[in-house]
Amino acid sequence: MNPRTFLYGLWSLGVVALFVLSGIFAWSPFAEGGRARAHAGIYGPTHK
Amino acid sequence: MQPEMQPVADIQLPAAPAVKALACPACGGSVELRAAGYSVSVVCQYCSSILDVADPQVKLIAQYNQAAEALEIPLGSRGTLRGVEWEAIGYMQRSAYGGGAWDEYLLFNPYHGYRWLITDGRGWSLGEQLTVTPLRDDYETLRLGNQTYQRFYEDSTARVDYVLGEFYWRVAVGEEVVGADWARPGAMLSREKNAHEVSWTRSVLLTHKEMADAFGVRKGASWPPMPHQPSPNAAWLGMGFKIFAGMFLLLAVLILAFGGTSWTSAGRFPVAPDGSERTVTLGPIHFGHLYQRVEIRADVPTLENGWVDLDYSLVDRRTQQVYEAYGAAERYSGSDSDGPWTEGSRGSSVSVASVPAGDYDLVVDYKGNRWSSGSLYSPRYVGMPEDLGWMTPVNKPEVVVEVRTGALFLSSFWIALILLGLPLLIGLIRHIQFDKARQAESDFAPTGFAALGASEDDE
Repeated sequence: MNPRTFLYGLWSLGVVALFVLSGIFAWSPFAEGGRARAHAGIYGPTHK
Repeated sequence: MQPEMQPVADIQLPAAPAVKALACPACGGSVELRAAGYSVSVVCQYCSSILDVADPQVKLIAQYNQAAEALEIPLGSRGTLRGVEWEAIGYMQRSAYGGGAWDEYLLFNPYHGYRWLITDGRGWSLGEQLTVTPLRDDYETLRLGNQTYQRFYEDSTARVDYVLGEFYWRVAVGEEVVGADWARPGAMLSREKNAHEVSWTRSVLLTHKEMADAFGVRKGASWPPMPHQPSPNAAWLGMGFKIFAGMFLLLAVLILAFGGTSWTSAGRFPVAPDGSERTVTLGPIHFGHLYQRVEIRADVPTLENGWVDLDYSLVDRRTQQVYEAYGAAERYSGSDSDGPWTEGSRGSSVSVASVPAGDYDLVVDYKGNRWSSGSLYSPRYVGMPEDLGWMTPVNKPEVVVEVRTGALFLSSFWIALILLGLPLLIGLIRHIQFDKARQAESDFAPTGFAALGASEDDE
Protein backbone atom coordinates (compact mmCIF):
# COMPACT_ATOMS: atom_id res chain seq x y z
CA MET A 1 0.00 0.00 0.00
CA ASN A 2 1.17 3.48 -0.83
CA PRO A 3 2.42 5.17 2.38
CA ARG A 4 0.36 8.28 1.61
CA THR A 5 -2.76 6.17 1.18
CA PHE A 6 -2.05 4.55 4.52
CA LEU A 7 -1.50 7.92 6.20
CA TYR A 8 -4.69 9.31 4.67
CA GLY A 9 -6.58 6.24 5.87
CA LEU A 10 -5.24 6.82 9.38
CA TRP A 11 -6.14 10.52 9.16
CA SER A 12 -9.67 9.65 8.04
CA LEU A 13 -10.13 7.19 10.89
CA GLY A 14 -8.94 9.88 13.29
CA VAL A 15 -11.40 12.41 11.90
CA VAL A 16 -14.30 9.95 12.14
CA ALA A 17 -13.21 9.02 15.67
CA LEU A 18 -13.31 12.71 16.65
CA PHE A 19 -16.71 13.01 15.00
CA VAL A 20 -17.97 10.06 17.07
CA LEU A 21 -16.50 11.60 20.22
CA SER A 22 -18.18 14.92 19.44
CA GLY A 23 -21.43 12.98 19.19
CA ILE A 24 -20.91 11.06 22.40
CA PHE A 25 -20.15 14.26 24.31
CA ALA A 26 -22.59 16.34 22.22
CA TRP A 27 -19.87 18.93 21.77
CA SER A 28 -19.30 21.56 19.13
CA PRO A 29 -17.01 24.57 18.98
CA PHE A 30 -19.90 26.53 17.51
CA ALA A 31 -22.51 25.82 20.18
CA GLU A 32 -24.18 28.96 21.53
CA GLY A 33 -24.68 27.50 24.97
CA GLY A 34 -21.97 27.33 27.58
CA ARG A 35 -20.39 30.53 26.44
CA ALA A 36 -21.99 33.65 27.86
CA ARG A 37 -22.08 35.76 24.74
CA ALA A 38 -23.13 39.34 24.96
CA HIS A 39 -25.44 40.70 22.30
CA ALA A 40 -23.92 43.00 19.74
CA GLY A 41 -25.52 45.94 21.56
CA ILE A 42 -27.17 47.71 18.65
CA TYR A 43 -30.76 46.89 17.92
CA GLY A 44 -32.79 47.77 14.92
CA PRO A 45 -33.06 46.69 11.34
CA THR A 46 -30.05 46.88 9.06
CA HIS A 47 -32.36 47.32 6.13
CA LYS A 48 -30.63 49.80 3.79
CA MET B 1 6.63 -47.03 -13.40
CA GLN B 2 8.57 -44.44 -15.18
CA PRO B 3 12.30 -44.94 -15.63
CA GLU B 4 14.47 -42.61 -13.64
CA MET B 5 15.47 -39.61 -15.68
CA GLN B 6 19.18 -39.14 -16.07
CA PRO B 7 20.73 -35.89 -17.26
CA VAL B 8 22.21 -36.37 -20.68
CA ALA B 9 24.82 -33.72 -20.15
CA ASP B 10 25.42 -30.73 -17.94
CA ILE B 11 23.96 -27.53 -19.25
CA GLN B 12 26.82 -25.38 -20.46
CA LEU B 13 26.39 -21.66 -20.24
CA PRO B 14 28.51 -19.59 -22.59
CA ALA B 15 31.62 -18.39 -20.92
CA ALA B 16 31.67 -14.80 -19.85
CA PRO B 17 34.14 -12.85 -21.93
CA ALA B 18 37.34 -12.12 -20.13
CA VAL B 19 38.71 -8.61 -19.86
CA LYS B 20 41.22 -8.17 -22.64
CA ALA B 21 43.96 -5.57 -22.60
CA LEU B 22 45.23 -3.88 -25.73
CA ALA B 23 47.56 -1.01 -26.45
CA CYS B 24 46.16 2.23 -27.82
CA PRO B 25 47.79 2.90 -31.22
CA ALA B 26 47.57 6.63 -30.56
CA CYS B 27 49.03 7.05 -27.07
CA GLY B 28 50.24 3.55 -26.17
CA GLY B 29 48.04 3.43 -23.12
CA SER B 30 46.66 0.12 -21.92
CA VAL B 31 42.98 -0.08 -22.88
CA GLU B 32 40.76 -2.69 -21.28
CA LEU B 33 38.20 -4.42 -23.47
CA ARG B 34 35.45 -5.64 -21.17
CA ALA B 35 33.11 -7.17 -23.73
CA ALA B 36 35.73 -8.64 -26.01
CA GLY B 37 34.11 -10.38 -28.94
CA TYR B 38 30.98 -8.22 -28.66
CA SER B 39 32.32 -4.69 -28.82
CA VAL B 40 33.11 -3.09 -32.16
CA SER B 41 34.76 0.11 -30.98
CA VAL B 42 36.43 1.31 -27.84
CA VAL B 43 37.48 4.74 -26.74
CA CYS B 44 40.85 5.05 -25.04
CA GLN B 45 40.40 6.36 -21.53
CA TYR B 46 43.75 8.19 -21.73
CA CYS B 47 43.56 10.09 -25.00
CA SER B 48 39.91 9.59 -26.06
CA SER B 49 40.97 8.14 -29.42
CA ILE B 50 38.42 5.80 -30.93
CA LEU B 51 39.74 2.32 -31.74
CA ASP B 52 38.26 -0.33 -33.99
CA VAL B 53 38.37 -3.63 -32.11
CA ALA B 54 36.22 -5.68 -34.48
CA ASP B 55 39.40 -7.15 -35.98
CA PRO B 56 42.31 -8.61 -34.03
CA GLN B 57 44.41 -5.81 -35.48
CA VAL B 58 43.29 -2.81 -33.47
CA LYS B 59 42.87 0.16 -35.79
CA LEU B 60 42.67 3.81 -34.99
CA ILE B 61 39.32 5.29 -36.13
CA ALA B 62 39.77 8.79 -34.79
CA GLN B 63 42.57 10.28 -32.80
CA TYR B 64 41.95 12.77 -30.01
CA ASN B 65 44.35 14.17 -27.55
CA GLN B 66 42.16 15.01 -24.66
CA ALA B 67 41.91 13.68 -21.17
CA ALA B 68 38.99 11.51 -20.24
CA GLU B 69 36.29 13.11 -18.14
CA ALA B 70 35.72 11.87 -14.63
CA LEU B 71 32.49 9.90 -14.85
CA GLU B 72 29.83 9.57 -12.20
CA ILE B 73 29.90 5.84 -12.87
CA PRO B 74 33.51 4.84 -13.68
CA LEU B 75 33.72 2.42 -16.58
CA GLY B 76 34.25 -1.07 -15.30
CA SER B 77 31.93 -0.51 -12.34
CA ARG B 78 29.48 -3.30 -11.66
CA GLY B 79 26.09 -2.98 -10.09
CA THR B 80 22.96 -5.09 -9.75
CA LEU B 81 19.74 -3.64 -11.10
CA ARG B 82 16.52 -5.58 -10.73
CA GLY B 83 18.32 -8.87 -10.17
CA VAL B 84 20.90 -8.64 -12.95
CA GLU B 85 24.51 -7.62 -12.50
CA TRP B 86 25.66 -5.12 -15.10
CA GLU B 87 29.03 -3.69 -15.94
CA ALA B 88 29.37 -0.16 -17.26
CA ILE B 89 31.50 -0.43 -20.41
CA GLY B 90 30.73 2.73 -22.39
CA TYR B 91 29.71 6.32 -21.87
CA MET B 92 28.23 8.90 -24.21
CA GLN B 93 27.20 12.45 -23.63
CA ARG B 94 24.54 13.59 -26.06
CA SER B 95 22.59 16.75 -26.59
CA ALA B 96 19.65 17.86 -28.65
CA TYR B 97 19.75 20.93 -30.86
CA GLY B 98 18.01 23.62 -28.91
CA GLY B 99 17.65 21.33 -25.91
CA GLY B 100 19.58 19.99 -22.98
CA ALA B 101 22.30 17.37 -22.69
CA TRP B 102 22.13 13.97 -21.10
CA ASP B 103 24.44 11.07 -20.26
CA GLU B 104 24.12 7.50 -21.46
CA TYR B 105 26.08 4.60 -20.00
CA LEU B 106 26.24 1.35 -21.90
CA LEU B 107 25.81 -1.62 -19.57
CA PHE B 108 26.80 -5.14 -20.46
CA ASN B 109 26.04 -8.58 -19.11
CA PRO B 110 27.18 -11.58 -21.19
CA TYR B 111 23.90 -13.43 -20.51
CA HIS B 112 21.50 -10.49 -20.85
CA GLY B 113 23.18 -8.34 -23.47
CA TYR B 114 23.23 -4.57 -23.43
CA ARG B 115 21.23 -1.98 -21.56
CA TRP B 116 21.45 1.78 -21.25
CA LEU B 117 21.61 3.86 -18.11
CA ILE B 118 20.31 7.29 -19.00
CA THR B 119 20.32 10.43 -16.88
CA ASP B 120 19.86 14.14 -17.38
CA GLY B 121 20.92 14.90 -13.83
CA ARG B 122 17.49 14.48 -12.27
CA GLY B 123 17.10 10.72 -12.20
CA TRP B 124 18.16 7.50 -13.88
CA SER B 125 16.40 5.26 -16.37
CA LEU B 126 17.27 1.76 -17.52
CA GLY B 127 16.80 1.48 -21.27
CA GLU B 128 16.42 -1.66 -23.34
CA GLN B 129 16.39 -1.71 -27.09
CA LEU B 130 13.17 -3.21 -28.40
CA THR B 131 12.89 -5.99 -30.93
CA VAL B 132 9.31 -5.00 -31.79
CA THR B 133 7.88 -1.77 -33.09
CA PRO B 134 5.24 -0.14 -30.85
CA LEU B 135 1.76 0.11 -32.30
CA ARG B 136 0.30 3.51 -33.05
CA ASP B 137 -3.11 4.11 -31.41
CA ASP B 138 -3.34 7.63 -32.78
CA TYR B 139 -1.03 10.52 -33.58
CA GLU B 140 -0.44 11.21 -29.89
CA THR B 141 -0.43 7.68 -28.52
CA LEU B 142 1.73 4.59 -28.93
CA ARG B 143 0.95 1.20 -27.49
CA LEU B 144 3.46 -1.36 -26.30
CA GLY B 145 1.87 -4.46 -24.78
CA ASN B 146 -1.06 -3.20 -22.76
CA GLN B 147 0.53 0.15 -21.94
CA THR B 148 0.02 3.40 -23.79
CA TYR B 149 2.55 6.22 -24.14
CA GLN B 150 1.76 9.86 -24.86
CA ARG B 151 3.89 11.84 -27.28
CA PHE B 152 6.27 14.11 -25.41
CA TYR B 153 9.20 15.29 -27.52
CA GLU B 154 8.82 15.76 -31.23
CA ASP B 155 11.52 14.81 -33.73
CA SER B 156 14.78 16.56 -32.99
CA THR B 157 18.41 15.91 -33.82
CA ALA B 158 20.56 14.46 -31.06
CA ARG B 159 24.32 14.65 -31.34
CA VAL B 160 27.09 12.71 -29.60
CA ASP B 161 29.23 15.28 -27.78
CA TYR B 162 31.58 13.01 -25.90
CA VAL B 163 32.26 9.30 -25.86
CA LEU B 164 34.33 6.96 -23.76
CA GLY B 165 34.65 3.17 -23.42
CA GLU B 166 33.47 0.48 -25.77
CA PHE B 167 30.36 0.08 -27.89
CA TYR B 168 28.74 -2.42 -30.19
CA TRP B 169 28.91 -0.01 -33.10
CA ARG B 170 31.45 2.47 -34.36
CA VAL B 171 30.42 5.47 -32.39
CA ALA B 172 32.06 8.85 -32.91
CA VAL B 173 31.70 12.35 -31.59
CA GLY B 174 29.39 14.26 -33.88
CA GLU B 175 27.25 11.24 -34.74
CA GLU B 176 23.66 12.35 -35.15
CA VAL B 177 20.29 10.68 -34.97
CA VAL B 178 16.75 12.05 -35.09
CA GLY B 179 14.99 11.18 -31.88
CA ALA B 180 11.44 11.43 -30.58
CA ASP B 181 9.97 10.37 -27.26
CA TRP B 182 6.69 9.17 -25.81
CA ALA B 183 6.11 9.01 -22.05
CA ARG B 184 3.90 7.40 -19.46
CA PRO B 185 4.31 7.41 -15.68
CA GLY B 186 7.45 5.43 -14.98
CA ALA B 187 8.56 4.69 -18.56
CA MET B 188 9.49 6.24 -21.90
CA LEU B 189 9.60 5.06 -25.46
CA SER B 190 12.33 6.58 -27.61
CA ARG B 191 12.68 6.31 -31.33
CA GLU B 192 16.02 7.03 -32.95
CA LYS B 193 16.51 7.00 -36.67
CA ASN B 194 19.30 7.75 -39.07
CA ALA B 195 19.83 7.08 -42.74
CA HIS B 196 20.25 3.34 -42.16
CA GLU B 197 17.94 2.23 -39.39
CA VAL B 198 15.18 3.02 -36.92
CA SER B 199 15.56 1.74 -33.37
CA TRP B 200 13.17 1.80 -30.44
CA THR B 201 14.19 1.86 -26.80
CA ARG B 202 11.99 1.50 -23.75
CA SER B 203 13.47 3.01 -20.61
CA VAL B 204 12.03 2.53 -17.15
CA LEU B 205 12.60 4.98 -14.36
CA LEU B 206 14.81 3.72 -11.55
CA THR B 207 14.45 4.85 -7.98
CA HIS B 208 17.25 6.76 -6.35
CA LYS B 209 17.72 3.89 -3.91
CA GLU B 210 18.13 1.38 -6.73
CA MET B 211 20.86 3.49 -8.30
CA ALA B 212 22.51 4.29 -4.99
CA ASP B 213 22.61 0.60 -4.09
CA ALA B 214 23.82 -0.48 -7.53
CA PHE B 215 26.35 2.18 -8.45
CA GLY B 216 26.54 4.50 -5.46
CA VAL B 217 25.42 7.57 -7.39
CA ARG B 218 24.18 10.69 -5.65
CA LYS B 219 20.63 11.90 -5.76
CA GLY B 220 19.96 14.36 -8.56
CA ALA B 221 17.79 17.43 -8.72
CA SER B 222 14.17 16.64 -7.98
CA TRP B 223 12.58 19.59 -9.80
CA PRO B 224 11.31 20.04 -12.41
CA PRO B 225 10.05 16.46 -12.78
CA MET B 226 11.22 14.24 -15.61
CA PRO B 227 8.88 13.47 -18.51
CA HIS B 228 8.14 9.97 -17.24
CA GLN B 229 8.32 10.70 -13.52
CA PRO B 230 5.13 9.53 -11.80
CA SER B 231 3.35 12.12 -9.71
CA PRO B 232 3.87 11.26 -6.04
CA ASN B 233 0.26 12.25 -5.37
CA ALA B 234 -1.39 10.42 -8.26
CA ALA B 235 -0.61 7.07 -6.66
CA TRP B 236 -2.73 7.70 -3.59
CA LEU B 237 -5.37 10.17 -4.79
CA GLY B 238 -7.49 7.50 -6.50
CA MET B 239 -7.67 5.35 -3.39
CA GLY B 240 -7.95 8.51 -1.29
CA PHE B 241 -11.18 9.54 -3.02
CA LYS B 242 -12.58 6.05 -2.42
CA ILE B 243 -11.69 6.33 1.27
CA PHE B 244 -13.36 9.76 1.34
CA ALA B 245 -16.56 8.36 -0.18
CA GLY B 246 -16.56 5.51 2.36
CA MET B 247 -16.05 7.88 5.25
CA PHE B 248 -18.81 10.17 3.96
CA LEU B 249 -21.25 7.25 4.02
CA LEU B 250 -20.01 6.29 7.49
CA LEU B 251 -20.66 9.83 8.76
CA ALA B 252 -24.17 9.73 7.27
CA VAL B 253 -24.86 6.44 9.05
CA LEU B 254 -23.49 7.86 12.31
CA ILE B 255 -25.77 10.90 12.04
CA LEU B 256 -28.75 8.56 11.81
CA ALA B 257 -27.39 6.40 14.63
CA PHE B 258 -26.97 9.29 17.06
CA GLY B 259 -30.49 10.57 16.36
CA GLY B 260 -32.35 12.94 18.73
CA THR B 261 -35.75 13.76 20.17
CA SER B 262 -38.62 15.78 18.71
CA TRP B 263 -39.62 19.22 19.97
CA THR B 264 -41.57 19.27 23.25
CA SER B 265 -43.26 22.30 24.71
CA ALA B 266 -41.53 23.77 27.75
CA GLY B 267 -44.03 26.57 28.36
CA ARG B 268 -45.46 29.90 27.23
CA PHE B 269 -45.39 33.20 29.08
CA PRO B 270 -46.54 36.80 28.43
CA VAL B 271 -44.32 39.75 27.58
CA ALA B 272 -44.65 42.80 29.85
CA PRO B 273 -46.29 45.69 27.93
CA ASP B 274 -44.09 48.21 29.71
CA GLY B 275 -40.92 46.53 28.48
CA SER B 276 -39.71 45.43 31.90
CA GLU B 277 -37.53 42.37 32.29
CA ARG B 278 -39.17 39.23 33.62
CA THR B 279 -37.99 35.83 34.73
CA VAL B 280 -39.79 32.54 34.36
CA THR B 281 -38.72 29.07 35.43
CA LEU B 282 -39.79 26.11 33.33
CA GLY B 283 -39.39 22.47 34.23
CA PRO B 284 -38.33 20.10 35.39
CA ILE B 285 -36.95 18.86 32.08
CA HIS B 286 -35.36 15.42 32.09
CA PHE B 287 -32.33 14.61 29.93
CA GLY B 288 -31.54 10.88 29.76
CA HIS B 289 -28.33 10.53 27.74
CA LEU B 290 -24.85 10.72 29.21
CA TYR B 291 -24.36 14.02 27.37
CA GLN B 292 -26.70 15.82 25.01
CA ARG B 293 -27.06 18.84 22.87
CA VAL B 294 -30.07 20.82 24.11
CA GLU B 295 -31.83 22.98 21.57
CA ILE B 296 -34.10 25.73 22.87
CA ARG B 297 -36.50 27.34 20.44
CA ALA B 298 -38.50 30.45 21.24
CA ASP B 299 -41.32 31.77 19.13
CA VAL B 300 -43.00 35.16 19.54
CA PRO B 301 -46.04 34.91 17.25
CA THR B 302 -47.14 38.56 17.43
CA LEU B 303 -43.71 40.15 17.27
CA GLU B 304 -43.52 43.09 14.84
CA ASN B 305 -41.05 45.96 14.77
CA GLY B 306 -39.37 44.91 17.97
CA TRP B 307 -37.23 42.32 19.61
CA VAL B 308 -37.19 40.05 22.62
CA ASP B 309 -34.02 39.36 24.60
CA LEU B 310 -33.88 35.81 25.90
CA ASP B 311 -31.33 34.70 28.49
CA TYR B 312 -31.52 30.97 29.14
CA SER B 313 -30.07 29.17 32.12
CA LEU B 314 -30.32 25.41 32.35
CA VAL B 315 -29.87 24.57 36.04
CA ASP B 316 -29.16 21.03 37.14
CA ARG B 317 -31.41 20.42 40.11
CA ARG B 318 -28.95 18.03 41.72
CA THR B 319 -25.63 19.82 41.20
CA GLN B 320 -26.89 23.38 40.57
CA GLN B 321 -24.55 23.44 37.58
CA VAL B 322 -25.68 26.15 35.15
CA TYR B 323 -25.51 26.07 31.34
CA GLU B 324 -26.19 29.41 29.74
CA ALA B 325 -27.21 30.58 26.33
CA TYR B 326 -28.50 33.77 24.84
CA GLY B 327 -31.06 34.23 22.14
CA ALA B 328 -33.06 37.04 20.60
CA ALA B 329 -36.05 37.16 18.32
CA GLU B 330 -36.10 40.21 16.07
CA ARG B 331 -38.67 41.14 13.50
CA TYR B 332 -38.97 44.41 11.60
CA SER B 333 -41.07 45.59 8.69
CA GLY B 334 -41.79 48.79 6.88
CA SER B 335 -42.28 50.37 3.56
CA ASP B 336 -40.13 52.60 1.44
CA SER B 337 -39.84 53.72 -2.16
CA ASP B 338 -39.15 50.13 -3.23
CA GLY B 339 -42.24 48.87 -1.47
CA PRO B 340 -42.83 46.88 1.71
CA TRP B 341 -39.99 45.07 3.38
CA THR B 342 -39.46 42.69 6.30
CA GLU B 343 -36.38 41.65 8.17
CA GLY B 344 -35.54 39.17 10.92
CA SER B 345 -37.57 36.35 12.40
CA ARG B 346 -40.18 35.91 15.09
CA GLY B 347 -38.35 32.80 16.23
CA SER B 348 -35.00 32.15 17.87
CA SER B 349 -33.10 28.89 18.30
CA VAL B 350 -29.98 28.25 20.36
CA SER B 351 -28.07 25.10 21.25
CA VAL B 352 -26.33 24.23 24.49
CA ALA B 353 -23.50 21.70 24.15
CA SER B 354 -22.48 18.82 26.40
CA VAL B 355 -25.33 18.94 28.90
CA PRO B 356 -25.03 15.93 31.25
CA ALA B 357 -27.97 13.71 32.11
CA GLY B 358 -30.28 14.88 34.89
CA ASP B 359 -33.35 16.94 35.78
CA TYR B 360 -33.07 20.59 34.86
CA ASP B 361 -34.92 23.84 35.35
CA LEU B 362 -34.95 26.18 32.41
CA VAL B 363 -34.77 29.74 33.75
CA VAL B 364 -35.60 32.36 31.11
CA ASP B 365 -34.86 36.05 31.64
CA TYR B 366 -36.65 37.91 28.91
CA LYS B 367 -37.53 41.42 27.95
CA GLY B 368 -39.68 42.78 25.16
CA ASN B 369 -38.59 45.82 23.16
CA ARG B 370 -40.17 47.85 20.44
CA TRP B 371 -38.65 49.75 17.57
CA SER B 372 -40.14 52.73 15.82
CA SER B 373 -38.80 53.90 12.52
CA GLY B 374 -39.70 57.51 13.45
CA SER B 375 -38.39 57.45 17.00
CA LEU B 376 -35.20 59.29 16.14
CA TYR B 377 -36.78 62.07 14.11
CA SER B 378 -40.26 62.38 15.61
CA PRO B 379 -39.92 63.27 19.29
CA ARG B 380 -42.89 62.47 21.48
CA TYR B 381 -44.51 65.55 22.93
CA VAL B 382 -45.80 65.90 26.48
CA GLY B 383 -49.28 64.50 26.84
CA MET B 384 -48.97 62.41 23.74
CA PRO B 385 -50.03 58.72 24.43
CA GLU B 386 -47.15 56.20 24.37
CA ASP B 387 -47.09 53.90 21.38
CA LEU B 388 -46.83 50.34 22.78
CA GLY B 389 -46.34 48.89 19.34
CA TRP B 390 -46.49 45.09 19.20
CA MET B 391 -46.44 44.84 23.02
CA THR B 392 -49.92 46.29 23.46
CA PRO B 393 -52.08 43.97 25.66
CA VAL B 394 -54.64 43.64 22.88
CA ASN B 395 -51.95 41.97 20.79
CA LYS B 396 -51.36 39.36 23.57
CA PRO B 397 -47.57 39.39 23.31
CA GLU B 398 -46.15 36.08 24.52
CA VAL B 399 -43.18 33.80 24.12
CA VAL B 400 -43.54 30.08 23.40
CA VAL B 401 -40.53 27.94 24.34
CA GLU B 402 -39.82 24.43 23.08
CA VAL B 403 -36.94 22.10 23.83
CA ARG B 404 -35.45 19.08 22.14
CA THR B 405 -32.25 17.06 22.60
CA GLY B 406 -29.78 15.49 20.24
CA ALA B 407 -26.13 14.54 20.05
CA LEU B 408 -24.62 15.94 16.90
CA PHE B 409 -24.19 19.45 15.63
CA LEU B 410 -24.36 19.99 11.89
CA SER B 411 -21.18 22.05 12.21
CA SER B 412 -19.34 18.91 13.40
CA PHE B 413 -20.40 17.15 10.22
CA TRP B 414 -19.11 19.99 8.04
CA ILE B 415 -15.86 20.20 10.02
CA ALA B 416 -15.36 16.45 9.58
CA LEU B 417 -16.00 16.74 5.84
CA ILE B 418 -13.52 19.62 5.55
CA LEU B 419 -10.87 17.69 7.50
CA LEU B 420 -11.46 14.61 5.34
CA GLY B 421 -11.33 16.59 2.11
CA LEU B 422 -8.42 18.88 2.94
CA PRO B 423 -5.60 16.34 2.32
CA LEU B 424 -7.27 15.35 -0.95
CA LEU B 425 -7.53 18.96 -2.02
CA ILE B 426 -3.88 19.63 -1.15
CA GLY B 427 -2.84 16.42 -2.92
CA LEU B 428 -4.87 17.31 -6.00
CA ILE B 429 -3.41 20.83 -6.16
CA ARG B 430 0.12 19.44 -5.80
CA HIS B 431 -0.60 16.79 -8.41
CA ILE B 432 -1.78 19.44 -10.86
CA GLN B 433 1.30 21.56 -10.12
CA PHE B 434 3.51 18.52 -10.64
CA ASP B 435 1.86 17.53 -13.91
CA LYS B 436 2.00 21.09 -15.23
CA ALA B 437 5.73 21.23 -14.45
CA ARG B 438 6.27 17.77 -15.96
CA GLN B 439 4.47 18.58 -19.17
CA ALA B 440 6.00 22.04 -19.43
CA GLU B 441 8.99 20.41 -21.16
CA SER B 442 6.82 18.69 -23.70
CA ASP B 443 6.68 19.85 -27.29
CA PHE B 444 2.97 19.14 -27.33
CA ALA B 445 -0.11 20.65 -25.72
CA PRO B 446 -0.66 19.62 -22.11
CA THR B 447 -3.14 16.86 -21.41
CA GLY B 448 -5.13 15.77 -18.37
CA PHE B 449 -5.04 17.95 -15.26
CA ALA B 450 -2.09 19.89 -16.70
CA ALA B 451 -4.42 21.22 -19.39
CA LEU B 452 -6.57 22.92 -16.73
CA GLY B 453 -6.21 26.65 -16.94
CA ALA B 454 -4.08 26.50 -20.09
CA SER B 455 -5.00 29.48 -22.21
CA GLU B 456 -5.24 29.47 -25.97
CA ASP B 457 -2.05 31.50 -26.04
CA ASP B 458 -0.24 28.62 -24.34
CA GLU B 459 -1.37 26.34 -27.09
